[in-house]
Amino acid sequence: MTEYEAIIGLETHIQLNTTTKIFCSCKADSWFDPPNTNICPVCTGLPGALPTLNKAVVEKAVLLAKAMHANLLPLSYFARKNYFYPDLPKGYQISQYDKPIAVGGFLDMPMNPANGQSYIRHITIDNMHLEEDAGKTRNEPGRRLIDFNRCGVPLIEMVTGPDLRSADEAAQYLIRLRQLLRWLGISEADMEKAHLRCDANVSIRPKGASHLNPKTEIKNVNSIDAVKEAIGKEIERQTNEMEAGHKIETWTLEWDEDAGVLRKMRSKETEADYRYFREPDLLAIRMTDEWRNAILEGFPELPLERRARFIEDYGLPEYDAEILTGERSLSDYFETTVKTYKGDPKRVSNWIMNDILRMVNEAGKPAYELKLTPAFLAEIIQLVDSGTINTSTGKNLLGKVETSGRAPSKIVEEEGLAKVSDDSAIREVCAKIMAASPNETASYKAGKVTLIGWFVGQVMKEMRGKADPQIARKIMEEMLSQ
Amino acid sequence: MTMNPCDQSAVELSKLLRRKEISAVEILESALERIDQVDGRPGTLNPGAITDADKQKVHSFITLTAERARAQAKEVDRKLKAGEDPGALAGIPLTVKDIFVLKGTPSTAASKILANFISPYTATPVSRLEAAGAVTLGKVNLDEFTYGSSNESSAFQPSPRNPWDTHTVPGGSSGGSAASVAAGEAVLSLGTDTAGSIRQPAAFCGVVGVKPTYGRVSRYGLIAFASSLDCPGPVARSVEDAALMLKVMAGADPSDDTAANIPVPDYLAELEKGVKGLRIGLSPDYFRITYPDPTSGELLMQAISPEIEASVRRAASLLKEMGAEIIEDVPMPNTRYGIPAYFVISRVEAASNLHRYDGVKYGFRTPEPTHELRDLYKKTRAQGFGPQPKLRILMGMYVSAAQYSEQYYNRALKVRTLIRRDFDTVFDKNGAYRLDALLTPTTPTTAFEMGAVYGDSVLMQYADQLTVPANHAGIPGLSLPAGLDSKRLPIGIQLLGADFSESVLFRIGRAFEQATETDAWRKEKPGVLAS
Repeated sequence: MTEYEAIIGLETHIQLNTTTKIFCSCKADSWFDPPNTNICPVCTGLPGALPTLNKAVVEKAVLLAKAMHANLLPLSYFARKNYFYPDLPKGYQISQYDKPIAVGGFLDMPMNPANGQSYIRHITIDNMHLEEDAGKTRNEPGRRLIDFNRCGVPLIEMVTGPDLRSADEAAQYLIRLRQLLRWLGISEADMEKAHLRCDANVSIRPKGASHLNPKTEIKNVNSIDAVKEAIGKEIERQTNEMEAGHKIETWTLEWDEDAGVLRKMRSKETEADYRYFREPDLLAIRMTDEWRNAILEGFPELPLERRARFIEDYGLPEYDAEILTGERSLSDYFETTVKTYKGDPKRVSNWIMNDILRMVNEAGKPAYELKLTPAFLAEIIQLVDSGTINTSTGKNLLGKVETSGRAPSKIVEEEGLAKVSDDSAIREVCAKIMAASPNETASYKAGKVTLIGWFVGQVMKEMRGKADPQIARKIMEEMLSQ
Repeated sequence: MTMNPCDQSAVELSKLLRRKEISAVEILESALERIDQVDGRPGTLNPGAITDADKQKVHSFITLTAERARAQAKEVDRKLKAGEDPGALAGIPLTVKDIFVLKGTPSTAASKILANFISPYTATPVSRLEAAGAVTLGKVNLDEFTYGSSNESSAFQPSPRNPWDTHTVPGGSSGGSAASVAAGEAVLSLGTDTAGSIRQPAAFCGVVGVKPTYGRVSRYGLIAFASSLDCPGPVARSVEDAALMLKVMAGADPSDDTAANIPVPDYLAELEKGVKGLRIGLSPDYFRITYPDPTSGELLMQAISPEIEASVRRAASLLKEMGAEIIEDVPMPNTRYGIPAYFVISRVEAASNLHRYDGVKYGFRTPEPTHELRDLYKKTRAQGFGPQPKLRILMGMYVSAAQYSEQYYNRALKVRTLIRRDFDTVFDKNGAYRLDALLTPTTPTTAFEMGAVYGDSVLMQYADQLTVPANHAGIPGLSLPAGLDSKRLPIGIQLLGADFSESVLFRIGRAFEQATETDAWRKEKPGVLAS
């Protein structure tokens, strides 16, 4: 059997998280609102209404362009994409065509296959278009319901080159894109809520060949798992077809999530003619240096760069660096803690990965919103390091600080949580335990020295964990051997 | 017929009103009385036969909003009585071309497909005029969706007729606007100009019409024809009134990105500065027209009406006497391509702008049963649109198709650039011509007879060939009456200037009015008023 490779390109639509729509002042997010409540003459295409550009949309696009190494065009234009559909109230979509906001770009995506060599996949971006979303149509028996709320919600269309080579890579690209969009704060990037939509173009060819075979387009894939599964199935189908000597036809396929199967929507013999022309109702977007610089002021270090730096600068294992840079506020949290703590970054990483992540997930809020600030976490780790408290007290403190918002050292002091290293206090307890346990004392003295663990445990129990177990052991041994 | 308040100028009425010599209600009633006398029945979708009596009337209106107007007039009178500022256009009767939306009133675009559309919002120019106290009498007729130069294509019949001779057309597409102002039904009217749709009917009806610089007046609420060419503008009986009206309408608008963010000058303050030292050009390319032979399609050249050329030349010599410098033989070589380029660009934009009328959301929907979506679209659009929109959709779709757009649309855009360059060259302050304005005829002929051109869409379009270059270039144009021809029909002359030079055009126009103040034709009244 011939060995095949898959050629995959992804067309993504990214819903930007602006307050208002792209061409009017209606609220952009209608997720919780009843149909047709966030609409106006502009987004419902009433006669005479005109679009006016929301600058915030351009600003968010500039951030994404920078992150994707795309080139901003100094002059870009909107264009009309003409077609009829009931949820497209103007009969054309305002999009971009020959002069989009940005062209080119790439993402170097690290791949770490479970059973194989790590590698970098270089994914090219053709261009980025700004456009308005259409409404939603719901077909019911005998009637068609239209919700115009989504009309005019800002989207960026970003299309990759045919650079992905497996379903895993496609899924990984979406994971990286989602991470990036949230990192930049430009989209909620929730695929289930259609903030991030993806159509996949899939073809296969014998490994090593350089030609491109006819491709199919998979639509309606609404989660990263679905993308992976749908592409996997399509590669399998195309492979079987080719092996059987059949030609691949350029179909449009729809992913049926519930059944987990691809269905043929239509054959694509001819491309639709959208009769694009420049939108005369909007001015060109003039991307001046001043504007671009103002937008890019304070542009953040990107997740993959930060991941690499954490490995390099802090000596973190790749696994730790990946998790800590999964989300921007968590990575900031880590780094701020490290800087305050001044000790071994891996120690901070352990605390965050073991405990802080759990707290973040349970609280359902980002790390920067925790009352347990990086400074407090650093303080707790320092208290443990210095022996003022033991590790388990430290872990208990996390919750106490988060609930009260008070400084760890204050809580330690007020609740008397500090380890007791005062000999006399420990001696007193040791004596008390020896007096209360004549049998064990006798056994120890008779040579059963392994009982020391039991004695120390009794001391710790009596002192509610505050004793330094090493000191307690030393004193207990000393007193038992007298 | 004696001089009624509705025959006075806006500037004069404002003075009378402020001196409390007249009330806004009195002005309004005078206008309503005039409408009652001369307008005849308003245009409707099912007019029945057009009678001989109909043929004597003006038929400016589609929708008369008398009660709404009375409430506005009373409010103006109340403000005046209370000592409040009633606004620069207080009490002035205004008609609005029915291509602008006005909240709560039918906004039809003279098309069956929008006949039942009641707008939930008001167009920016209309709300500015009303905020300044103008009293809106109603919505006046036009060619369907503004597609025409005679008003005959309106779905609402009887269509407007020229008040000077009701057997001739009022011009178009702002025919209802020009006719209503010429007949004294209104003092001012709001029109739109995409290829000459204000200037040509103004010329035909003997009134002043201004196509402002593209972007000078907001298009928000103007039902679009060709968005890159459409300009709202004033129709008035004097340059001064037009200047006053433009001042109120013009300026940036947060609802229209293409409305220019450039301060609006005080046109009235500039008006009396005269023409001394101004350089005014005459171009041979505006004294002849090019048109396609109906059978061979070959382009033919023909001189314009000698009477019109004589009027332009007389205007030039009068302005020269007043101190202007006249520059002859200014070449405007791309003028002749204005109409072919316009044919392509305007149709592409029009076809796209008409997509939204699909029977789904508002307006007409076919009453016939439909078995699927495409069927609903087809029947609704087939029954709702008249022949002009259909022709424009067909042509627009054709020339914007992927395989033809390079050959037609993109080529037309290049021609548009060349036309713009003609103007840039002659208005260049450091160039060979350094013109302040170009003086031209507005139209190749005076008003033609009803039915004479209608049906020949190509020939009809050529009525705009001296006005369309300004739309391509985006520059301002002013048409003003310059006499009557041998058939007692008005002759219009046109002034074209550089971007945002409206105040210069108003100055020249005003000077011409003063120079011709005592001309015999100025005493003449339109036929419908001469009884």
